[in-house]
Amino acid sequence: MTAPAKTRKPWSDTARGYAMNAPALLALLLLVAYPIGYSFWVSLHRDNLAQPAVRKFIGLDNYLSLVDDPVFLCSLGVSALFVLTVVGATVLLGLAMALVLNETFFGRGVLRSLVLLPWAMPGVVNGLMWRTVFDAKTGALNGLLTDLGWIDEYQAWLSSATGAFLLTAFAQVWNTLPFAVIILLAGLSTIPGELYDAATVDRAGPWQRFREVTLPWLLHPLLIVLILETMNAFRAFDTIYVLTGGGPGDATATVALLTVQRVLSYTDVGLGSAYAWVITLITMVVSVGYVGLLYRRGSFEV
Amino acid sequence: MTAIPLRYRVPWKKILVSVLALVFAAYLVLPFYWIVAMSFMTEADANSLPPQWIPDQPTLENYRAFVDPTAAQALVGGRAVKETPFALGNSLLVATLTALLNLLLAVFAAYSFSRLNFRGSRVLLILYLVTRMVPGVAIIVPFYLLMRQLDLLDTYWALILSYTTFALPVTIWVLKDFFRAVPRELEDAARVDRCGWFRTMWSVVLPISAPGLVAAAVFSFMTAWNEFMFALFLTSTTAAKTMPVIAANFATDINTQFTVMAASGVLAVLPPLVLVLIFQRLIVTGMAAGSVKG
Repeated sequence: MTAPAKTRKPWSDTARGYAMNAPALLALLLLVAYPIGYSFWVSLHRDNLAQPAVRKFIGLDNYLSLVDDPVFLCSLGVSALFVLTVVGATVLLGLAMALVLNETFFGRGVLRSLVLLPWAMPGVVNGLMWRTVFDAKTGALNGLLTDLGWIDEYQAWLSSATGAFLLTAFAQVWNTLPFAVIILLAGLSTIPGELYDAATVDRAGPWQRFREVTLPWLLHPLLIVLILETMNAFRAFDTIYVLTGGGPGDATATVALLTVQRVLSYTDVGLGSAYAWVITLITMVVSVGYVGLLYRRGSFEV
Repeated sequence: MTAIPLRYRVPWKKILVSVLALVFAAYLVLPFYWIVAMSFMTEADANSLPPQWIPDQPTLENYRAFVDPTAAQALVGGRAVKETPFALGNSLLVATLTALLNLLLAVFAAYSFSRLNFRGSRVLLILYLVTRMVPGVAIIVPFYLLMRQLDLLDTYWALILSYTTFALPVTIWVLKDFFRAVPRELEDAARVDRCGWFRTMWSVVLPISAPGLVAAAVFSFMTAWNEFMFALFLTSTTAAKTMPVIAANFATDINTQFTVMAASGVLAVLPPLVLVLIFQRLIVTGMAAGSVKG
C-alpha cells in the first residue's frame, strides 16, 4: 500500500504567521504600546518629578487647563503656521526639483546624488550648520548678500520674530526636501512616455501636458509626501532646538519644543504627557485621513 | 549656400532645465560647503569680514582639537570637545546594533507577509504602520520611566531599544516588498529538496533580497545616527551620549568657537553621508518601494 506523499503540515499558515510576527509584535508592544498607555495614565495626574509628594490623580484637569493656557495655544498656532510654511515650500520645491531631475541633462547623475546630501544630515547638525550661515557677525548669508550689494549692513536675522520663523522653516525645508524629491521622482518614472507623445500629437502645451498627464499620475505620491511631511514638520524638534531654542520670545516655540521643555526643564511629566497626547491625537487624525484617502483611491495595497 | 535650418528653435526647455539644475545644485551644496570650509579655517579667518569663501590658511587644528585640545579650545568648547571621540564611538555602536537588531526582528515578520496568507495579516501590517505614526514626544516620558525601572538609563541599550521601535515598522514594510519580488518557483524548488521554511528563507530568499536587507539596514542606521530627542533624555554621560547630543552642546554654548563647532558638525555628518553615497541606488529604490506603493 502506498501512502500518499506525506505533506507535513504541523503548523497552519495562521499559526506560523503569528509565530513569525511574535518577536516584532512583542518588542513593539513592550516599547510602544505600554509607554503610550502609561503616558495617558500619567497625563491624568498632577505629577512633577521634582515633587514626588504631590502626585495625585486629577482626571482630565491637565487637558482642561490646556484650553485656556495662552502659552500652549500660542504654540499650537506657531506649529500650524510652521507646518503650513514648511510643507508648502517642500512640496513646491520638491516638485520642481523632481521635474528637473526627470529630464536629461549634463550632470544629472551628480545632481541625483547631491539631492541626498541634506537627508544624511542629522537635524542637530542641520540646525548648527544654519546657525553659522545665519550668524549676525560672521555668517555666510550676510557676507553673500553684502557681496551681491543687496544689503548695506549685516543683519541679525535670527533676532526678529518673523526672520527667525522664516529662517527656521527654511532650514527645516532644506533638511526634509530629499524625501519629497525621491518619492516624487519615483512617481514620475512610472508615467508611460506614450501619454506625453499622445498629448504632443494633440498639440498640448507644456502646462497642459503637466496638468492633464503629470499631475493625475503624481496625485498619490504627492499625497504621501504631503501627509508624511506634515507629520514630520509637526514634530520637528532638533533643528529648531539648536537654531533658535523657540525664541525670540515665542516666535518659534512649537508644540513639540514646548512639550520637551515642559518635561525636561520643568520635570512636569503630568502636563507634558497631556501635551504629548494632544500631539498624538492630531497626528492620528491626519494619519486616519491619509489611510482613508488612499483606500478610497484604491491604491493602498497591503 | 548653407542656410540656417528653417525650423531652428531656441531650445528654451533645455536652457531652463540646465539653469534650474545649477540653482538647485548650489542650494544643496553651498550651506554644506560653508561648514566644511569653516572647519578648516583658523579662528581669525572665520571671524574676518567680509567672510572668506576659501580658507586663507587652511588648517587641521580644529579636527586635532578633539584628540588633543589646546588650552584655549578646551576652555571655550568646554566638555563637548573632550566628549566628541566618545560620542562618535557611541553613535557608531548604537547605530550598528540598532540596524542588526532591526533586521533580526523584521526578517521573520516581513517574510510572513510575503508568503503566508493568514487571517489578520492586513490588520497587522497597518498596526505596524500606526506605531510608526506615534510621535516620539508622546512616548518619551513613559519610555524614560520604563528605562529607569529596567536600570538601563545612560546605557546603549536604552537607545538601541527605542530606535528599534522607530525603525522596525519601516524595516518590515521595505523588506516585505523585497521578499515578494523573489520568484516563488525558487522557493518551491528548495521545498522539493526538502528544505524547511527556515532553510528556504535562509538560503534562498535572503541572499536574493540582499539589496533589500542592505537598504533596510542603512535606514535603521541613519535613524539611530540622526536621532536627538531620545538621546538627550536617556543619556547623561560619555558612557552613552551620542554625536547629536554633543553637537547640540556645541551649538547652545555661546562660548564655542564656530570653527571647532563646524568640525564637529562635519564629523557627525560623515558616516551617514558615506553610507548614503555608497548605497544611494538601494536607498532610493527602497524608499520609493516603501512609500509609493503604500
